[in-house]
Amino acid sequence: MNPTRPTREDYYGALADCLPDDALVVTSLGNASYLWACVLDRPENFYVEDAMGLTLPLALGLAVAQPGRKVVGVEGDGGLVMHLGALVTLGAVQPRNLTILLMQNRVHAASGGQPVTNPKLDLADLARSAGLTQTENVGTVEEFRKAFESVFSGDGSSLLALQVEPDIPVVEPPFPLNPVVIKHRFMEAIGAPRYVPLTFGKGRLVEPE
Amino acid sequence: MTVLEIETLVRKASVSAVRWRNRVSHAETHRPSELLATLKEQGFRVAVSVPDSWLGQLLVEIENDPDMTLIRATHEEEALAIACGSRLGGVRTVMLIQNVGLTTMGAGMVSLAQRCQFPLLILVSFRGSPDDPVYYHIPKGRVTEPVLQAMGLRYARVNGAEPIGPQVEKAAANAEESSQPFVLLTSQRDTRW
Repeated sequence: MNPTRPTREDYYGALADCLPDDALVVTSLGNASYLWACVLDRPENFYVEDAMGLTLPLALGLAVAQPGRKVVGVEGDGGLVMHLGALVTLGAVQPRNLTILLMQNRVHAASGGQPVTNPKLDLADLARSAGLTQTENVGTVEEFRKAFESVFSGDGSSLLALQVEPDIPVVEPPFPLNPVVIKHRFMEAIGAPRYVPLTFGKGRLVEPE
Repeated sequence: MTVLEIETLVRKASVSAVRWRNRVSHAETHRPSELLATLKEQGFRVAVSVPDSWLGQLLVEIENDPDMTLIRATHEEEALAIACGSRLGGVRTVMLIQNVGLTTMGAGMVSLAQRCQFPLLILVSFRGSPDDPVYYHIPKGRVTEPVLQAMGLRYARVNGAEPIGPQVEKAAANAEESSQPFVLLTSQRDTRW
């Protein structure tokens, strides 16, 4: 184990600095969401508090639906391999506006720090095999800033595998992450059409005024 | 004319009437086309699928439609998450899967789609139903409705005697009105192009 790996907080601090105001951020379970809510809570965040392995595909669907916005998905190495097929789908679809930040801490931190099935995976290489061309293993915060600004300013799907120290103690989020409230807050912030119910099955999605 | 001859004539007329009715029935609107037209009319712009032989050509038609985007996923739970993300992005989203997918997407269904209340329309090939000639699907058909009930999912079986379009529209409206996924169990005739 390399004791010099940055912490999640180090990377999140840099992400908060680099992130454009209108970028959409989707974070996976555990401290990936709780710490991000502490560092930079904003309506354009969607916290996937449970549903392990489904943050990457959810971010993919969001990027397809919002082609005019940059989307960042924060997933863990355990979550990625739980639904490795989603990486293949991402490689096939490749929306122009999606960056996956893969926290490679080599443990299942949210469940107490059990080792992941294969901690030695080269995740940037795996992403490249899945069809992504912009992938990189990142080991320092400075490398991260440089790599993030490079992929985020360009077009295409990208994946940065961030080597990170495990953070086992659960961070307390600044407020309860009520999933429905978070969803409505997010959809309002992006100006998503709202379903307007009309009697006898004539309801429609209507653009906000 | 004898009574027997009259009865024979009546029987022949009755058989002709049934044939005529059947002929009319077979000449009805092409159900998969009507299904796709309804999805478009209802504003569905993204479809997420995992293949089933009853869905093959319908998926190609969606893929070739300039108004829609088809995402071919590798697994039904992954497809569900993609659909939730798309709906989160404000786009009405439909899933097309085989019923086995209802058994493989359980965790994502309860902890993502239902917990966050994503209104999704899920069109599901009801394999293993009595009109399915492929017998190895029977175990999946047997558990389909119990699984839906156990997960607390709202669902309906398509009525083959009625047009498909209004049934799709009602299922989609039910999903939105209840802020939950709604499953419509479809037969071969509904989706096979």
